[in-house]
Parts: sequence; C-alpha cells; structure tokens
Amino acid sequence: MNKEPVALAQVKAKTIQKEKRRLNAKYFTPWLFLLPSIVILGVFLIIPILEAFKWSFLDYKIIADSGEFVGIENFKEIFKDKDFWMSLLNTILFLLIVLPLNVFLPMILAVLVNQKIKGVATFRILYYLPVITPMVVAALIWKMLYSQNGIISALLVKIGIFDSPTNLLVQSSTALIGVAMITVWKGLGYYMIIYLAGLQSIPKDVYESASIDGASTFQKFKSITFPMLAPSVTLVSVMTIIAGMKVFEEIALTTGGGPSGATTTLVMYIYNKFMDLDVSIASAAGLILLILSIGASLLQMKMTSKNEDDLRA
Amino acid sequence: MKKNSKKIWNYALMLLITVLTLGPFLITLFMSLKSSGQGIYDGLLPTDPTLANFFTAFKKANLGTYFLNTIIVTAIAIPLNLLFCSLAAYPLARMDFKGRSVVLALIISTMMVPFQLYMAPLFQLSGQLGLQNTHIGLIIMQVSTAFGIFLMRQAYLRIPKELEESAYLDGANKFKVWYMVALPLVKPTLVTLAIFTFMGTWGDYLWPLLNTTESNMYTLSIGLAQLSQNFDGSNLKLISAASILTTIPTLLIFIWLQKYFISGATDGAVKG
Repeated sequence: MNKEPVALAQVKAKTIQKEKRRLNAKYFTPWLFLLPSIVILGVFLIIPILEAFKWSFLDYKIIADSGEFVGIENFKEIFKDKDFWMSLLNTILFLLIVLPLNVFLPMILAVLVNQKIKGVATFRILYYLPVITPMVVAALIWKMLYSQNGIISALLVKIGIFDSPTNLLVQSSTALIGVAMITVWKGLGYYMIIYLAGLQSIPKDVYESASIDGASTFQKFKSITFPMLAPSVTLVSVMTIIAGMKVFEEIALTTGGGPSGATTTLVMYIYNKFMDLDVSIASAAGLILLILSIGASLLQMKMTSKNEDDLRA
Repeated sequence: MKKNSKKIWNYALMLLITVLTLGPFLITLFMSLKSSGQGIYDGLLPTDPTLANFFTAFKKANLGTYFLNTIIVTAIAIPLNLLFCSLAAYPLARMDFKGRSVVLALIISTMMVPFQLYMAPLFQLSGQLGLQNTHIGLIIMQVSTAFGIFLMRQAYLRIPKELEESAYLDGANKFKVWYMVALPLVKPTLVTLAIFTFMGTWGDYLWPLLNTTESNMYTLSIGLAQLSQNFDGSNLKLISAASILTTIPTLLIFIWLQKYFISGATDGAVKG
C-alpha cells in the first residue's frame, strides 16, 4: 500500500531533476559554449567599436582633460578639410583603376587554367603565389621593382612611355597607378579561384551544343561564359570595392601617402589623423568609411540583382 | 594544325602570366644572392651567388628575434582561434536559445567594420590592460574572430543532424556531442580556419605596428618594415633576403595544404 506513493514521489523527483537539467541545457549550455568568444570579442571588438562611435562626437586626444562632447563638430571639420576630400577622391580613383583589372584579368586566368590541357594545375599554383605572400613582403618587392634603376622603369623606357628612367611611385601623376598594380598583382590568383568556381558550375552541354552550331571560341566566351559568370563578376566587384576601400599596406610601405598626398586614401587619412593623436577626427572619418563600405556593397547588390532580372526577362 | 597552334598560344599566354606572378619573387631571390662585389642593379643574375646576406639579416638585422616572436604569436593564435570559434559557432548552428539571433546578427555585422574605425580605442585599451609590447597583446584580434565563428557555423549547418541526435539518445551531453561527433565532421573547415588564422597573424602589419614600440617585440612584418626605412644600397640585398625568409614558411604551408587554400578561398569570399 505504502510502496506506490514512494515510487511515485521518486519518479516525480526524477522528472523534476530531468526537467531542471533540460532547462539548464536549454538556457545555460549555449552560453557556456559562447563564453570565451563573447568575452574576447566583447572586450577587444565590441567595446572599441562603441568607443569609436562615442569618440567621433567628442573632442578627444587620448590625453587627460580632453573628451568634451562636441556633437557633429568633428564631421563638420572633416567636411571642411581639403585633405579629406582629396583622400576620398584618391580612394575613388584607386577603385576605378583596380576594379576593371580585377574583374577582367583574373577571368582570363581562370578561363586559361580551366582548360583540359597538361600542366594547368601547376599554373594555378604559380598564379596563386602572390596571394599567399605577406603584404609587407609584396609591398617591399614592388617598391624595389619600381625603383629608378629597377626593371619596371627600364621596361617603360624601352616601350617608349618615358624618355628617361622614372620611378612611378615618386611621380604624383603615376604613384596611385603604381600602388594599384601591387593590389591587382596580389589579388589575381584569389579572384581567379572565385571565377574558377563559377566556370565549373556552367553545364558542359551548353558548350557542346554551341560547338555543334559552329560557334567560335570567342563567340562561346561572349555568349555563354561571360553571361554565365555574372554572379562571379558581382562577387569579385563587391569584394574588390570593400577590400579596396581599406587598402593600407601597399601604400603605407611604398609611398606613405605621398608624393604630396597623391596616394593618401581614406584609410591613410584616418591613419595620419591617428598618428597626430587626433583620434576624434580619426574615429569620425572611420565612421564615414564604415558607412561608405556598407553603402557600396548594398548599391552593388541592388544593381546586380537588377542586371540578373534583366537577363532573365 | 589549327588546334596545335591554339595550344601553343595558350601555353605562351600562360607562361607570360607566370612571368608576371613569379618574376618579382625571382628578381628578389637573385637580389638576395648577390655578393658584396656586385652592384644591386648590376645585372639581373648574381654573378657570384652567396648566402652571406641571409646570415647578415640574422646577425645585423635581428631577424632571429622577429622570427621567434612571429612563431610564438602564430602558435598561440591558431589553436585558440580554432577552439573558441568552433565552440561559439556550435550553439549558433545547433541549439535553440533566447538571444541566438541577436548574437548571430552582432557577429555578422562586426565582420563589416573596418579595423581602422576602432584601432584608436583598441590601442588605448591595450595600453590600459598592459598588453602593449606583449605577445598576447599582438594577437588579441586573432584569438577569436567573428569571421571564424561565421565560417564554423556554416560548416556545422552542412553536416547531417542524425549523428548528433543518436549520440543524445545514447545519453551524451552537449559538450560530448560537440567534441566527439560534430567537431570531427568539420575537420576540413578547421584546417581552412587554421590557414586563415596563420595568414592573418603571420603577415599582420597595422596592429603589431601600433602595439609594439620595443624592437625585441617586433614581428617579421614590423622588423621588415623597419629594415626598409633605409631603402637603398646594399641594404636592399638584406631586405630581399629577409623578404624571402619571411615568405618561405607561408610557401611551405601552402605546398602542404594546397587543396584547403583553394577551397578556403571560396569559403572566405563572404569575408569582405
């Protein structure tokens, strides 16, 4: 008689315990998994980002007795600063040089190494080498190649672009092209892989039927490969724009932003302000950079999704 | 006949591109092998090849210290980033809990934030925490990354749930299931993340530049940049030798883990 309630109580206690454990697992365990990352990212990423937002509305110089709230004064000052507009212009020019090269050169590379001929695997590796090179090394190697007595200057004289040996990086008219070439060189292999993935998703029978219809290689590229690669083109463009806006090492280690500001991009502008301990201006300019890079990727996505709709129609 | 000439053109073009991608390395290598008797721009090939510049780079330019620092920070960053990211990503992929979407949105949105926005506050924080000129200070941006968490989460989402479910039926708890069942299944992505962490730490420039003032804490990137302050004369041979030495470890790892580099390139495309 007495046995049953005891057993029942035991079962009940067990169920409660089980329920407790289940709730624990539900509410507690996920946060245990997340804990190390939340602490690290919270302290070294989220807090600094929030601080930067705050600093952009203060008059702060990393020293005591500064940090007065000034509203949007920093932004006003930036918009009045000729150097800022010049850095914005340089960033846009840099992107205008890099973007078409990044879209087309790696595409050619990808088409070449996507052929079924001997040795393409080796060529793929050789084309990828610049990607794995540390950026500092790449910048210094190119700085050496560009020097007045170096090989590039000699080549440019030979093909008649310059009359006398010239270092591209010390001329304000060509310095930006010079650093842009380093960026393009370093990214060739990477974007080639992106295009290669795109190429390999094109069904082969499309080419076969085009061949039967007597299409030439160029016609096939124009009417099949290129349109089918549209998503890859979008991806490469967005990545180029976002990465290009943040270009730093290529410039800092070769021209340092010079000559006379010709290669001072937005990031170099921020870096210079930071070096002057003008961190409020640096933070505000950083905020502008953030807004621009978000804006650029949104715009690009919108444009290309429209393009794809047009293609489908 | 026509097919053959097309083939020749293809190879010619591919070789020409190889000259572009490989040439700069070869020129640097030749420069580093030139002896003191040969001028830096005196011909392309070293007439009297010598390794002297490499030894001088270690002796005079303190390359050994920079190498050691770089190896230390890379060796700390890789295992920690793999552990913390693969831990954090698991509940974000597999558990249903309050706040999950907020955490996920926060992580994905921080991936878009340029480092230059928050480098100044981070610099001040690092100083306040006594992390300047320390190895830990050099890698705080690499020991758990938003990108790594995102990458690992994608990997967990791709593996079938059934294996984990049957492990739960056997009475395993969540940590055990993560460690024994899920983690082995995402090994390729762990390798990819290890590569990303290696590349990010080994070649990192801006943060080590801000966070180190003492030359005995320099990494290779900073040491090399300092060496290049004097960018002419025989110093170019040293810079070349140091550049080659800095690149060799990444080259070896690339040769070793090639296929992960290639698959990782497309995984990393979301990084921006």
